[in-house]
Amino acid sequence: MENIVVKDVSYQYTRRNENDEVIETLSALSALNFSIEAGSFVCILGHNGSGKSTLAKLFNALQLPTEGTILVSGMDSREEKNIFPIRREVGMVFQNPDNQIIASVVEEDVGFGPENIGLPTDEIWQRVNNALSAVHMEAYRLKSPNHLSGGQKQRVAIAGTLAMEPKTIVLDEPTAMLDPSGRKEVLESVLELKRKKGISIILITHYMEEAVDADRILLMDSGKLVMDGSPREVFQNVERLKEYRMDVPLITELAHKLQKKGFPIEKTILKKEELEEELFKLKEEGFSLQENFTAPELPGLSELSSEKPEAGDYIVEVNHLSAIFQEGTAMESFALKDLSMKIRRGSLTAVIGHTGSGKSTLVQHLNGLIKAKSGEIFVSFRENPPLVKSGKSFLFFKGKKTVIEKKGRLSLSEEGFDYRALRFKVGLVFQYPEYQLFEETVLADVMFGPLNQGKTREDAEALAKDALASLGIGEELYAKSPFELSGGQKRKVAIAGVLAMGPELLILDEPTAGLDPAGRDELFEEIAGLRKNYAMTILLVSHSMDDVARYADEVLVLHQGELKLEGTVEEVFSKKEELESMGLGLPQIRALLFDLKKNGLDMQLGNTVSEAVHALSAYFSGDYSEGKGVSHA
Amino acid sequence: MLREITLGQYYPVNSFIHRLDSRVKLAGTFLFLIALFIVNSWTAYAVLALVLFGFILLSKVPFSFMVRGLKSVLFLLLLSVSFNLFLTPGEELFRFFFLKMTKEGLQIASMMAIRLVMLVLSSSILTLTTTPNALTDGMEKGLGIFKLFHFPVHEIAMMMSIALRFIPILVEETDKIMKAQMARGADFESGSIFDRAKAMVPILVPLFVSAFRRAYDLAMAMEARCYQGGEGRTKMKPLHYTKADYLSYLVLFLILGMAIGSRFISLP
Repeated sequence: MENIVVKDVSYQYTRRNENDEVIETLSALSALNFSIEAGSFVCILGHNGSGKSTLAKLFNALQLPTEGTILVSGMDSREEKNIFPIRREVGMVFQNPDNQIIASVVEEDVGFGPENIGLPTDEIWQRVNNALSAVHMEAYRLKSPNHLSGGQKQRVAIAGTLAMEPKTIVLDEPTAMLDPSGRKEVLESVLELKRKKGISIILITHYMEEAVDADRILLMDSGKLVMDGSPREVFQNVERLKEYRMDVPLITELAHKLQKKGFPIEKTILKKEELEEELFKLKEEGFSLQENFTAPELPGLSELSSEKPEAGDYIVEVNHLSAIFQEGTAMESFALKDLSMKIRRGSLTAVIGHTGSGKSTLVQHLNGLIKAKSGEIFVSFRENPPLVKSGKSFLFFKGKKTVIEKKGRLSLSEEGFDYRALRFKVGLVFQYPEYQLFEETVLADVMFGPLNQGKTREDAEALAKDALASLGIGEELYAKSPFELSGGQKRKVAIAGVLAMGPELLILDEPTAGLDPAGRDELFEEIAGLRKNYAMTILLVSHSMDDVARYADEVLVLHQGELKLEGTVEEVFSKKEELESMGLGLPQIRALLFDLKKNGLDMQLGNTVSEAVHALSAYFSGDYSEGKGVSHA
Repeated sequence: MLREITLGQYYPVNSFIHRLDSRVKLAGTFLFLIALFIVNSWTAYAVLALVLFGFILLSKVPFSFMVRGLKSVLFLLLLSVSFNLFLTPGEELFRFFFLKMTKEGLQIASMMAIRLVMLVLSSSILTLTTTPNALTDGMEKGLGIFKLFHFPVHEIAMMMSIALRFIPILVEETDKIMKAQMARGADFESGSIFDRAKAMVPILVPLFVSAFRRAYDLAMAMEARCYQGGEGRTKMKPLHYTKADYLSYLVLFLILGMAIGSRFISLP
């Protein structure tokens, strides 16, 4: 049975000037035709600005189509009387968990919808109880939403729509702002609703892995529907998807690359288990890769940086740093506990850990936004910020200020240390940095940092232009308002704002959160470019093991304020048990290769797709039939 | 930095006062306030103080918590006391340079101090024993009569409860934006007043942008959940008067009656 029918739907935004005259019309959706089966799980993919969110709002009459009709259980959304019945049938969960919770107590928020449709009190309570138990949030019913994690807040939002007893729930990028464990929580709740209650799910997402379990994928590009099919059908078009700024799951990409190499894998692989099965089958069949395999040299990570990092040359050293949250209250807890670490000059070091593991407290110590109370931090820049020492003052006479330039290692707690000057050397880009943009033009916004440094306007402008260019922002955008740009562009402008100050250490906190796959890859390429062209040291705070595996060369693992693991990517990811005991996983590719190795395919482990192709090719062209693994000792 | 601010000072224990209907507590605070300004004799003040002390005991909120509310009005208290003390004409008690303290001044100042302290304490009982939500609910229903005059009672109550939910979020956001701009070298601590005001622009612009975005999102989320104003809305937690509530009303009106009565007999 068809639940939602979309017929010849178009949607246009009109922009008007102050005199209410139309300046331009932008077409967000054009000529869409499809229908959604009751009880199915449909995933809508598409890059930032492809019209997905507009489409989502059409499903429950939050917006009405400019042309065409949308029928929800036979009701036309353009008819006034149908609006509220449609909204009861089609519930909606939005991206930002904070902006959709209305009440200050969880259970009252879940009851908000039923109250609006005028249900009797007893029934409201019953629905609230059912909805909370369906997402396993009964234990939090009396809590304030401000004390919940992102994943829990989204589950409350789901319960809020569930209490309306909808037939369909539309989720508009519900996991974009969550960490991996929150994402998993939300996705599991959604799948359970489909399975147990038969509710249709329409999920809009940027994460290809979330689309794997869907019954059907709709791919949007510039307001048009460009692909429609099962995950297996859609994900077999690896190259076409990349043209639409999308991606395929990493495992699918690996299988695709193996096929190209000559591995006889027939179907499109979506999951790790499927690929494992295929590879075991190949092993049993005695498959051997035809071409004579010669190991190509993988580019060494150190070659990515122009400045060869020297052993023992550290830009930052942290010794026994501790920090306490809400000191002196009953909620007192350690944010950081006796933490010591070093960051090698010229490296790309990743910091991983759960939300609340102390990552952001640590990075704020590094640029002096938080001052170390116990423990010491040393920095050593090519040009250290000067120490300003003021002499003793006597009555009304201020002592003479002396400025000391000090080479080499400098302690942040040294007398006269200028924390503001430190912030120009240690650039910190917070999560969602586009929220800090404020100037009238892009160029002026990027110049803010250099001007604060005391540069002249000309110098500041030159620095700003250089920073914008290095992130691929073209001149045509300089005079635009930063608020007019697309999400990915805003992000880059905000990063350029920090870059323009010429930091030697750049700290990026989840720089790719919320970007579409192509935007994510672009940004990482540009970050890698910064390292090469400006000899910058980069500290990357990330939740994604796959990104860390691909781009970082050293890893720090934080757990409950303590540094648990430290070393190269290879060293850290070889400690599977320790990572799992902290609730952190392996990169997907490594997890696959690890399983293969455990089950008899004796080969070298790797973390990225290219490493895995390399290792598997080596294995299948080597002389494994005699029981000798290919050793890469 | 700003995160330590706590909003709504609700003190969660289960007491007789906590269980009372929020409308009773709202009305009670109001009636007590009237009584406080009607009486003008020391005996009556002593009685009211005793009553207030009884309420505090009943609420099971530690006295130290109650007194905390006084700190914020300490300055106001000292100011009005000293004005009354020195600027009331009358019989001179002693003189310090040009300042003279009068007998009348002393009397008025001490009454003023007592009134203010009791006023703050009684409203603290209200906020310490009632959740912000119950308070807005109570206001919505208690002031329902004003709907007849087209006064948007429901809308105002809804706005208050949304404000209560979003203030902590916006406070945290301000903190974040401040830090982000400090990381770009913004300096909020030095310079002239003009410089400092100008330094607020990089905080205020993003904060406003974000507040508007949140408001838009929230409106969308409310509409998606069929919100259409107070019309035809039911309540998950409707307010019901119990015996204790009626009893409390009786006690409160008795107090007010006694306060009015005290004006007609001469008490020391």
